[in-house]
Amino acid sequence: MLKKIIEDRVYSLLVLLTVVVVTAAFVFPATFPTFENFRQILLNLSIDTIVAVGMMILLVSGAFDLSVGSVVAFTGCLTAYLMHFYGIPVPVAITLGLTSALVVGFVNGYLIAYMGINPMIQTLAMMGIVRGFALMVSGSGIQNLPYWFNAIGQSKLLGIQMPVWYMLLTVGIFTFLLNKVVAFRQFYYIGGNERAADLSGIRVKRVKMAGFIISAMLAGLAGILLSSRLGAALPTMGRGLELRVITAVILGGASLSGGLGKIPGALLGALFMGIIANIMVISRISGYWQEIILGVILIGTLWLDKYLQKRYSGST
Amino acid sequence: MQSLQLDHITKKFPGVTALDDIVVSFLPGEIHAVAGENGAGKSTMMNILTGNLQPDSGEILLNGNKLVIKNPRDAFEYGIAIVHQHLSLVDSLSIAENIYANRQPHNRFGIIRFGELYKKTTVLLHELGLDELDPATPVTKLSAANRQMVEIAKALAQNPSILILDEPTASLTEKETAILFTILHRLRKQGTAIIYISHRLDEIFRLSDRVTILKDGKYQGTFATKDIAKDELIRRMVGREIKALKSQSTASTEIMLDVKNISGPRFKNISFQVYRGEIVGLAGLIGAGRTEIARTIFGADRLESGEIVLRNKKLDAHHPREAIANGIAYVPEERKSLGLFPDMSVADNIVSADLTLAAGGKFYNHSKARQTALRSRDQLGITSKGVEKKVTNLSGGNQQKVVLARWLLTRPDVLIVDEPTHGIDVGAKYEIYGILKDLAKEGKSILMISSDLPELIGLCDRILVIRKGIVAGEIARPDFSEEKIMSLAAN
Repeated sequence: MLKKIIEDRVYSLLVLLTVVVVTAAFVFPATFPTFENFRQILLNLSIDTIVAVGMMILLVSGAFDLSVGSVVAFTGCLTAYLMHFYGIPVPVAITLGLTSALVVGFVNGYLIAYMGINPMIQTLAMMGIVRGFALMVSGSGIQNLPYWFNAIGQSKLLGIQMPVWYMLLTVGIFTFLLNKVVAFRQFYYIGGNERAADLSGIRVKRVKMAGFIISAMLAGLAGILLSSRLGAALPTMGRGLELRVITAVILGGASLSGGLGKIPGALLGALFMGIIANIMVISRISGYWQEIILGVILIGTLWLDKYLQKRYSGST
Repeated sequence: MQSLQLDHITKKFPGVTALDDIVVSFLPGEIHAVAGENGAGKSTMMNILTGNLQPDSGEILLNGNKLVIKNPRDAFEYGIAIVHQHLSLVDSLSIAENIYANRQPHNRFGIIRFGELYKKTTVLLHELGLDELDPATPVTKLSAANRQMVEIAKALAQNPSILILDEPTASLTEKETAILFTILHRLRKQGTAIIYISHRLDEIFRLSDRVTILKDGKYQGTFATKDIAKDELIRRMVGREIKALKSQSTASTEIMLDVKNISGPRFKNISFQVYRGEIVGLAGLIGAGRTEIARTIFGADRLESGEIVLRNKKLDAHHPREAIANGIAYVPEERKSLGLFPDMSVADNIVSADLTLAAGGKFYNHSKARQTALRSRDQLGITSKGVEKKVTNLSGGNQQKVVLARWLLTRPDVLIVDEPTHGIDVGAKYEIYGILKDLAKEGKSILMISSDLPELIGLCDRILVIRKGIVAGEIARPDFSEEKIMSLAAN
């Protein structure tokens, strides 16, 4: 059991989270352990987590995507633009919005997998391009979105806001897919050893491209949810989101060299960051400290991981 | 029952014809060895059969029908399986997922049946005599030999009608090799066509029914193995008689390196001396701890206890930097990953061990570096026009000479070489032997780790056999024999 906790980040993070939550509950019994507070924490991290699921898939396959934050903004803005200025029905606008995310993912994936462009450079360029498009369609922002559109992100089920449910659904579905389904297991082979995957008959390029498409589509979904929740589409939505999400996913057990990580790790990584941020707000620590502490935690976690692996791997 | 035929296959690369109009048939129920030096075209042939490369002209025929093999997937479909040299495993995944990569048992929704996956793997591992392995173990935790066995299991799991093996025994012990041979004999009886590529001539004679010889991409004939003598086979592979390796000992009575009772995580209480001008061999199975001993002397691994004395002075090297400064050089085993900077030029690689020495002072002098590199090239006979091209464009033998050249620039007194001729062709091997002998004659002490027993016997003045981290025995030159070394190494 101890071995499992040390080797599997999902377990070690769960242990760590429990310790943090229990401690915080004792220190701030009135403000921290309340339904309202947890509901708020989950709502705040729901958008990030949906994007993080896609990022986890990419990191498993040995790549990453810096353009997701811009895709969140662009998809939200485009959907709002179509509804607001052309009166296009909600479902059609959403479909078109998601299609635009698909196109971005396809271009990223095609150029990286088939043309061999470095993912960092390709998605960095795309981050700027897509943000530009978002500004172009929305100007300074679009408000007064249709009622049914706002209902998607603002209604509640069992007292909890819908984005939280969408997040849990996404995590659940992709956990199952990446664990059990042949087509999705291939990401692990490619990230673990691309050449070996090729020699095993896996269509490496196609699967890599699929990773970028899935990641962009999830970012698109997140963008639509975010603008629905806000009741407005802003071109500045999702700024800095890509780095936050990569941080969460690395915390959750992914490795930049690929082949490692599980979907629940994405949720736990985001949850951990969310809870730490929440505790700092409750204890009235200044916002400046939050960024510093999160950075220190990320480095600390990875350092601890290396240390434990080194210490305990000798015995196997 | 399938027979595979190469019909006038030609494959050219810029500047070289890798395969020149090759015609050969592999028959069902035979073990067909393919022999040739590195660069003879064996790996090109294999890559064509598995769809990694396309021939420029000619056809591949399966039972007389033309095959188009565009990628490894197509090869699977036609029943061609290949055992790679631990190339095709994903370290982070389990044994079972590696063996059934891309062919996991699943239901019609694509959901993997893990129970069945593990059960099938257990059966397969049992066949290979690996009952102690758990199918869920990640490959990264396996020994080199077990990885190779997993690689073999992966090919067998495809029930191939044509099975290609590329140097399958390079990292196997005797026991596993015996299991592999038993399995190959059984498959032969069942009518599988087996193509066996090996540098080890002994195995070719022990195992194969027929042998096809390639040299410089040209077909040199196919022979019934029992009708061809070993000397004849070698002559056809290299096109000249190989002169026997016999060196006069150049060892003096002055102790250069004195290793006293050292221990580390993988070895215990190792003691030995190396004299000036002497070549000492370290024999043993893979994983016996030879590389770890070498790395510890070189300061790359931590010394737990004991001491290392160099020229009567205690050496306290915590980092290779200090060992190098004291005149120790280590040519590592994995040439590509540990010995070279593959994307840099021949010159950059040669001068990399000591930039100040090679390039004249604190500021890098390009023309001086180039001259140094050119001098080394001529000294060691590195075949390379100029020294500006990428080192990966050289053959394996020349790459190894580049690594040697680089370390000789540090003017070491003690040179440790780890598997110096692994995976390089026969001709280049002999050149490396010549270089090592000359170095010993100049008064350098050489510690040579090798799994190639004839090479150790031919070159060394003494051989230490390491078994499971201890010195199992020391053999003096008059008593050298492969049997003696193996009996000490295995047990």
